[in-house]
Amino acid sequence: MSELKPIFNALRRSKVGAILLLLQIAITTAIVSNSTFIINEKIAYLDQPTGYSEQDIFSFEVMSFGKDTNFKLQAELDEQALRQIPGVVDAVMIDSVPLSGSGFASTFRLRPTGEKSKGVNASMFQGDEHVLNTFGVKVLEGRNFYQSEIMVTDNYEQYPNIALITKVMADTLFPDGDALGKSIYRGDFPLKIIGITDMMKGPWLSSERKDRSVILPFVMARKLTQFMVRTEPGRRTEVMQQIEPLMLQLDSKRVVENIQGLEQVKDGFVAPDKLTMRMLLVMVVVLTLITALGIFGLTMFNINKRTKQVGTRRALGARKSHIINYFLVESVMICIGGLVLGAVLAVLLGQQLMQHYSIAKLPLLYVGLTALGVLLISVCSVIGPAQRAANISPSVATRTI
Amino acid sequence: MLTMNKINKIYQTDMVQTHALRDFDLQVNEGEFIAVTGPSGSGKTTFLNIAGMLEPFSSGQYLLDGVDVGRLNDNQCADLRNQKIGYIFQGFNLIPDLNLYENIEVPLRYRGIKAAERKRRVEQRLEQVGLASRAKHLPQQLSGGQQQRVAIARALAGEPRFLLADEPTGNLDSLMARQVMELLEQINREGATIVMVTHDSELARRAPRNIQVVDGQLADFTLYQGNPAAAVGA
Ligand SMILES: Nc1ncnc2c1ncn2[C@@H]1O[C@H](COP(=O)(O)OP(=O)(O)OP(=O)(O)O)[C@@H](O)[C@H]1O
Ligand SMILES: [Mg+2]
Repeated sequence: MSELKPIFNALRRSKVGAILLLLQIAITTAIVSNSTFIINEKIAYLDQPTGYSEQDIFSFEVMSFGKDTNFKLQAELDEQALRQIPGVVDAVMIDSVPLSGSGFASTFRLRPTGEKSKGVNASMFQGDEHVLNTFGVKVLEGRNFYQSEIMVTDNYEQYPNIALITKVMADTLFPDGDALGKSIYRGDFPLKIIGITDMMKGPWLSSERKDRSVILPFVMARKLTQFMVRTEPGRRTEVMQQIEPLMLQLDSKRVVENIQGLEQVKDGFVAPDKLTMRMLLVMVVVLTLITALGIFGLTMFNINKRTKQVGTRRALGARKSHIINYFLVESVMICIGGLVLGAVLAVLLGQQLMQHYSIAKLPLLYVGLTALGVLLISVCSVIGPAQRAANISPSVATRTI
Repeated sequence: MLTMNKINKIYQTDMVQTHALRDFDLQVNEGEFIAVTGPSGSGKTTFLNIAGMLEPFSSGQYLLDGVDVGRLNDNQCADLRNQKIGYIFQGFNLIPDLNLYENIEVPLRYRGIKAAERKRRVEQRLEQVGLASRAKHLPQQLSGGQQQRVAIARALAGEPRFLLADEPTGNLDSLMARQVMELLEQINREGATIVMVTHDSELARRAPRNIQVVDGQLADFTLYQGNPAAAVGA
């Protein structure tokens, strides 16, 4: 087809229709590529591995109102009773629950306060030697706490001087991989690293400290406590039902609350992200539909206003296929223009979003795939009207003024 | 060159049937210049459209250069239109987004003629209609008479032997109409067969052969031999 040049020339001269279509294509490409990227990021965020077998773990809170309860003793009794329930792998009293959105965090440095040194912010978990087993998280290097190292207390007069830290945290503070046996400082207090654990996400999935956690051998017994329990696969529901009666049987002057599977705990925290994702998804679908319709309508309009021209071309010897080709080539030309502009707009929009919201850089793959999709929509929307145009009788050249 | 035998054309719209041509018989010989007249709605355009293969007919036989047009498929019709027929419209029908050069090139592109040869022919035709200096102009920048001359150049570019014109001067004033008529006469002298529908009896009389369409039929025809005064009825 040697028709490229006259089609292009004709396009240049009849700007308005072509420019409208081109802009529509450009804007669609820019918005859809950014939105699909954000949606995919959200999905990746929501589906990220946490290090826990969430289906087998649950947590609950206990609130005591007894006046003369011995909390230290009660903690030991509670844990023992929980671990003896059939189907329970392990259980632990712990100060914060992973993925829940609430917990404790602190800054840990290579040197004590006052000396300049590298430091990172990390989440803290305080509990006994059963924490890791309840989480189902492995020790990669070094060892877990011994029972003798656990401090069970109801005040802060003493504080542990050993800790377990996650691998990511170890690698951040000690890039040479020699963290084991070294000390880190929380303020002025040194903590010797006795073990390095596999991945275990902290309480805040959206925070950059989500992969940096410290476990301390410290059990704080008091009125309000939390427990976590891991069961054998498939036995969680059965175990969860026994919790409240059991705890009340051990001590009736308390309330058991929020018995929740770990994935429910997580769902509560990521609910806003899920909502954003759904809204974006709806927006992308609606936008794509609207623009598909727009592209379709504009194409139809651009073709229909040239009915007489088509008749004339047919009278001059154009075959039907010539007419279809003409409109296809024309639409692809406009589309390519729109896609080039759209790609530039997409990147600019991506940069704006990156600056104003915490969104990663838009990968060009998204722009490319969106462009391909838009091209497909354009070509599909031109085929119908072009076919109808090709069926215009050559006699309209003489019958219409 | 053109033979129509008992051509009928019936337009079927929702309720009404219009018998636009009835048992229409006509023989046109190579090199003739025929003017077609007749009242409005009598079927002149219908006849010309069928002659130019712009629309199908309902029954009868139409032979163009011995080819039975009724048996051709759509692509064959398009190719034959492109090779043998030049159509000139009352409304010029230039393509508004193409300049004069590109307009004249259109039928040549459909025939797949190479660029160099296209250039030669387009320039020759532009020269012939006296608009060589305007090749880059758009149709809307020309007067009606100039536009019709471009349309004639376009019709001639493919060197058709058969030129059909439906009121080619209908939208022009008398001076421009005469210029267009002179151009057609010159083309006819160069060998093309021309059938022209016109309402202008003065122009019609300049054609060597006149036919009249009344109510979808060939009513009578008059043959003028050069000088209108020497007209003989037949
Ligand atoms: N597409 C169509 N559908 C229905 N009827 C039609 C159609 N085209 C033409 N006709 C009818 O066919 C008859 C002949 O029309 P035609 O255009 O051939 O007349 P004409 O002699 O060219 O008239 P004019 O001098 O006004 O141009 C008219 O009655 C017209 O209404
Ligand atoms: Mg007419």
